Amino acid sequence: MDKLVTLWEGSGLYNLELGQAAMIMVGLLLLYLAIYKKFEPLLLVPIGFGGILANIPEAGLAISALDQAIEVAKPAVLQQMAAALGASLDPLANLDAWRESLQMIAHDGVAPDQLRAARDIAVGVGYSDGMLYNFYKVAIGSGIAPLIIFMGVGAMTDFGPLLANPRTLFLGAAAQFGIFATLFGAVALTSMGVMDFSLNQAAAIGIIGGADGPTSIYVSSVLAPELLGAIAVAAYAYMALVPLIQPPIMRLLTTQKEREIKMTQLRPVSKLEKVVFPLMLLILVALFLPDAAPLLGMFCFGNLMRECGVVERLSDTAQNSLINIVTIILGLSVGSKLMADSFLTFETLGILGLGIVAFGIGTAAGVLMAKLMNLVSKMPINPLIGAAGVSAVPMAARVANKVGLESNPHNFLLMHAMGPNVAGVIGSAVAAGVMIKYLG
Amino acid sequence: MQDYELLQDGLALMALGMGVVFVFLTILVISVTLMSKLIDRFQPAPIAVDASKKSPSSPAPVSQNDEMLAVISAAVHRYRSTRRR
Repeated sequence: MDKLVTLWEGSGLYNLELGQAAMIMVGLLLLYLAIYKKFEPLLLVPIGFGGILANIPEAGLAISALDQAIEVAKPAVLQQMAAALGASLDPLANLDAWRESLQMIAHDGVAPDQLRAARDIAVGVGYSDGMLYNFYKVAIGSGIAPLIIFMGVGAMTDFGPLLANPRTLFLGAAAQFGIFATLFGAVALTSMGVMDFSLNQAAAIGIIGGADGPTSIYVSSVLAPELLGAIAVAAYAYMALVPLIQPPIMRLLTTQKEREIKMTQLRPVSKLEKVVFPLMLLILVALFLPDAAPLLGMFCFGNLMRECGVVERLSDTAQNSLINIVTIILGLSVGSKLMADSFLTFETLGILGLGIVAFGIGTAAGVLMAKLMNLVSKMPINPLIGAAGVSAVPMAARVANKVGLESNPHNFLLMHAMGPNVAGVIGSAVAAGVMIKYLG
Repeated sequence: MQDYELLQDGLALMALGMGVVFVFLTILVISVTLMSKLIDRFQPAPIAVDASKKSPSSPAPVSQNDEMLAVISAAVHRYRSTRRR
C-alpha cells in the first residue's frame, strides 16, 4: 500500500498545479494556431511544444539543478544548501515554507560564490540542470541562436531593390517609430500605475514593433530575460497577423489615387555593388554604432556569403540546414520560458496589447513617411510600400503588393516594397543597438 | 517623483533612438548612392562587369581553348618533372 501511495505521489496528476495546467493549455493553443491557422508554424510548433515540456510537473525540464533541488530535495539537503547560501531555516516551519524561503534567497542577490556552492551541493546529491534549461543557456543565454538566425536571414536577403532605390531606407527608418512609441507607451502605463515595467523591460517590449523575431529575442535576452517568453510569442504571433493588422491602417491613411501611384522601374544592380554593400554596412556599423555589431555583423556576413558567389556551400548551409537546426533549438528554448509563474501575469496581457500597438504605429509611420517623401521628391513613391518598412520579411512586402493590386490590378509593388522591407531589418537592428547601448 | 523620472528617461530614449536610426540610415543612403556612382564610373555598363566575373564559369570558346591548353601543358609539365625524379 505504501508503494502505491509513493507512486501516486510521484505522478504528474498528483503534482499538477493550476498554473502548469493553464500553461499546458497555452502550449496546446500555440500548437493549434501553428498547425491549423498556419501562424509562423516553423517557430510556434517548437515554442508551443517546448512550453508543454517546460510545464510537466516534477520533471523540471526548464529549471536549473539548484531550483530543482530546492523544489524536491530532502530536508537534510535543504539545510545543507541553506548553510551554503549563508541563511538559516526556521526549524519550526514546515517543509514547504523552507522551500519557499530558499527560493527567495536563491533568486534575490546572493553572492555568486555562495550560489555556486549551493549548486554544487545540489549537483552532488544527484540533481542536474533540466534539458530545456541547458538549451536556453546555450542558445539564448549566450545570444548565439538569434545571431545565427540573423546570419541565415542575411544569406537569404537580396539587397538589389534597396540598392536600386536607396531612398527607401528612410521608410525603414520611419517604421522604427513603432518601437520607440511603444517603449514610451509602456513607460507611460507604468507611471500611470496600470502596469509595472522598468525601462529595460519597456525597451524589450517596444522591440516587438520591429517585427523581427531574432532581434526581439536577442534584445529581450539582454535587457529583460524574464519577459522573453511573452515577448517572443507576441512577436511571432503578430508577424503571422501582419496581413490582418496592416491593410486597414494602410487604407485609412492613403487615398485611392495615392494607392494607384505607379513607380518607375528599378535599375539593374551590378554584382560588384551587391558584394560591396555588406562590407560597407559593416564598416559604417564599426564606425558609428559598435553596439549593433553582433546583429548587423552576422547579417552582413551572411549576405556577403550569398553575394560573393565563391562560397555557395556555406551560404546554402546558412540559409537552409543551419537555420533550421537553430530554429528548433531556439524554439524549444523560448518554450522553456513559458513557465506559469513568469507567464501567467497581468504584465503578459500588457505585452500582447502593446505589441499590436507597436505594429500599428510602425505601419502608420512608414506610410506617412512615404507620403512626406512624395511631397519633396520628384520620383513618385507609392505610400503603400512605406508599410513594408516594419521588417517582417517578406510578409509585409507581400501585403503592400496585395493592397496595391486591389486598387490597380496592373500595379505590381512587390519589388519596390522589398527595399523598405530589408531596410526595416537594418533599422530595427540599429534600434536594438541603441537600446542595448543606452540600457545594457 | 520616480515615475516622472522614468517617463523622462523613456522620452529621452525615444528621441535618442529615433535620432540615431535616422542619422545612421541617412549616412547609409549617402554612402550607397556614392558607392553606386563610383562603381558606375569605374566599371560602367553592368554587362561588362558580368562578362568579366562570369568568364571562369561560362567562358567564350576561344578563352576555353586557351585555358585548356594551359591546363594540358601544366599537366604535361608536371608529369615530366615527376618522371625525371
